[in-house]
Formats: sequence, structure tokens, C-alpha cells
Amino acid sequence: MNRFEFSSYLNANVDLEPSCMQELVKTCPTKKIKKGEFLLQAGEISKYTYFVEKGLLRQYSIDSKGKEHILQFAPEGWFVSDRGSVFFHQSSVYFIQALEDTEVALLEENILNELAHKQPSFIEFNNRLLHNHIRHLQNRITQLLGASAETRYLEFIKLYPDILLRVPQTMVASYLGITPESLSRVRKEMAQNHR
Amino acid sequence: MATKHIELIAAPPEPHFVGDGFRVHNFIPSLYGLDMKRMDPIIMMDYNSKFHFTAVDTPRGVGVHPHRGFETVTIAYQGKVEHHDSSGGGGIIEQGDVQWMTAASGVLHKEFHESEWSKKGGIFQMVQLWVNLPAKDKMSPPKYQAIKNAEMAHIPIGQHGSEVEVIAGTYQDKKGPASTFTPLHMYNVKLKKGDSASIHLPKHFNTSLLVIEGEITVNQGEDVPTDYFVLMANDGEDFTIEALEDSIVLVLSGEPINEPIAAHGPFVMNTRQELMQAFNDFNQGKFGYLE
Repeated sequence: MNRFEFSSYLNANVDLEPSCMQELVKTCPTKKIKKGEFLLQAGEISKYTYFVEKGLLRQYSIDSKGKEHILQFAPEGWFVSDRGSVFFHQSSVYFIQALEDTEVALLEENILNELAHKQPSFIEFNNRLLHNHIRHLQNRITQLLGASAETRYLEFIKLYPDILLRVPQTMVASYLGITPESLSRVRKEMAQNHR
Repeated sequence: MATKHIELIAAPPEPHFVGDGFRVHNFIPSLYGLDMKRMDPIIMMDYNSKFHFTAVDTPRGVGVHPHRGFETVTIAYQGKVEHHDSSGGGGIIEQGDVQWMTAASGVLHKEFHESEWSKKGGIFQMVQLWVNLPAKDKMSPPKYQAIKNAEMAHIPIGQHGSEVEVIAGTYQDKKGPASTFTPLHMYNVKLKKGDSASIHLPKHFNTSLLVIEGEITVNQGEDVPTDYFVLMANDGEDFTIEALEDSIVLVLSGEPINEPIAAHGPFVMNTRQELMQAFNDFNQGKFGYLE
């Protein structure tokens, strides 16, 4: 659960001129929220994409029967945002909540646009990020449409090696679209196979 | 022999809850100057200072979680803790007792207030330590030592019925019951007001005190109140603890293992690769299963 600074993330992933980098880091404020608090609630319009420097967020919706569905976990080094809200200014259907005391960098859409104008390498980077995100979503939809509970779980632990130790199993089940009982069965069977 | 001086006195930091049953001040590794290396081999200290838990039907505690690479030592000063693990083991840590769990290659366990105790509620006070294991023992089989208070060595000192209760290591050549992987001394120094204890420990052993009850003076100089932590410098062998009122002081002193530490959550290994392996093994059920 080591801290992951936004500037280190940028340094590792994009070739920005030092002046641009400084400006970006300066214009992206950080925010601390306590476990249980929200960065976004359904009905609001979100201005920001969040980069998690420390802690853990979840993005989820609540259906008409009152059931929660977790779209994404965001531990250190992950982005989370409601694209419909940030980019298309729709009121959000999502909640973004801290599952631990969390620190995020706030990225405003227009700052990213300005940066793209100034520095072409940033466009390339941003495209790559978007394509990666789309690939992730495609995988996730395919899994939710047809994969067994075990396959979903195996993909999950590859993607999020430490989340199982940080959130209740009911939340993992919600993310996987299976019942907590199925998740418990999968984990029990795997443990028994190792005996 | 040279005096062992005080390096640092720390007030109890803001408490936080571990699960819903343990309201702890974390001294090691979160306090400045007390990272995992400084008190090596003691790499974590959570102190549940006296806290009143109300009566409840469902015991409070912390649910199933794994450990690998170290030992957990639970000292129950007030209240009782019940624990269960994935190998089918379990038990109750009674008031005054110590549980020494060698997680080593890995256990899944859960810890709750004992059910009958929970129904009455009361004052709860406990210390939990993580004692690191040397690389060669990190993947050894898990085991438990349930140490009853009566099994500890009790050495009378002072003029007013004081004593040193030895959990591990030795005091005045009297040996405590806990077996340890590396040289380690762990005592409860129980002093009546006005009595004092002379402590002799090797210079290079990392040494600290935690005032569980009362108020003490160390080396006839610095007053240390209840719930405060004292880190001793590695500059000598001898120091004294004098009780300004009836006091209990937990003394910890261990020979540093001096190996690299790669720690994340409930795993403490030597390399990042071993850490990743621990997460994989846990996710894949290799620690077993516990409801």
C-alpha cells in the first residue's frame, strides 16, 4: 500500500518536458478524504478524473431495487472517473467512495486538453490510456456475459492482487457479478485443491 | 558497564480501529523514528490502551486474514481474545496470558473478543507485536505457543513485592517459556510504588519500553506516564526503571536480524518477489480456507 505520486506515474509513462510536467503537477490539486466519504454521488456532475496516490476507491451504482454494483476498484496508481459526467456533462449515476483513507490527484478535463495542445507526446499517451481502458472494459463485459465464477475470480486476482485483503468479500462478489456464496465456494474449492 | 540512555519518548498516537474490536495506537512502524528497521526484530506494535467495550451479543473483532513471514505475539492485559485458524487450531487468550503465533509460511486466522466476555463487556487492554523471522525460517511450518501466566518466570525484586515476569528470554538468568527464532527478551516489569528494577541488556539489542500502568522514571531522569513508549539508545547495557506509582512496564529487547524487509499488508518477506508470491498464494487458496 505504498504511496504512488501522480508525478512519478507521469515520469514513468509519458515523455513530458520538465516545464509542462511542473505545470501539470502544480495545476492538479490533491485531495484527502476519509474512509467512507464520497468524491462523487449519483445526481451530481463531476468535473474531475481522479488519480489515486494513496488508499482505495470504489465506483459503484445502485439499481432500482437498492442493490449496489461495483464497476471498479481504484487502488494506488489507478484512475477513476465518470466519463459521461466529466466529458459529456451528464449527471452521474455513480458513487465514488473511499474504502480507506485516501489521497487523490484531481485532473480537470480542460487541463488535459491544454496540455495536449502544448505537447503532442501527451496526446499519444492519453490515447494509449483510453485504449487500454477500453480494452479493460471489453474484457470485463465479456467476462460478465459468459465466464464462470472461477474464471472471473482468477482474472480478478491477476488484476487486483491485494484487493481481497483490503475489502470485504461481498464487495468483490459485487464487482464480479456473482453472489457472495459463489465467491466463497470458488475460494474454498481452490483451497481444497491445494491440500 | 555503560548506561543505556533514552533515545526517544513517544506519546500514544491517535488510535484507529482494527476490525471493530481493537482500538489501537500504532507505535511501530508508523511513528517517526520507529520504522520496521529501528526496533528490528520487532517490526510492528499495536497497543490497545484501556478502552471500555459495551456488552454485545455478537463479539467484536477482526475477521479472517492471512499472515506470512513473521510471528504475532498477543499480550492480554485486560479482557479475553478468542482465535481460530485455517488449520483447525484455536483457543482463548485469557487475561494475563500471551499467545505467540508463528505464522511463518502462512496462516489464515481471525481474532475476536471471547464470546462470554463480550456479553458482559468491560475494559480491554492488549498489546500485539509482530516479531520478524530470519529469511531461513520465514517459510517454516506455522505453530502456536499458548503461554499461561503461571508458566512465566516470576522473579521477585525490590522491597515492596515487585516482580519481573519473563515471557521470553532471560532476566537474572531466569528463563521465560516462549521459544524464539532469534535472541529476544520480553518482560512485564511489575513495580510497586517506590521500587525500581535494574535491567541489563546487550548494547546492540534494540530495546524499548511501554508503560502499561502507572508512571515511571527511567535512569532517575525522565518521567514517563501511562501509555507512553520509550525507545532506548544502543549506547550501553544498563538502565533502571523506578515506579512513581504502582506500574507495569513491557520491556522488549531483541538482537537485530539485519536482513532486507519487503512488507505489504499482512506479509513481511525479504524481497518484492517473495511478497508477490505471498499475494498469489493467498489469492489461490494456498493458505487454506476459513469461514
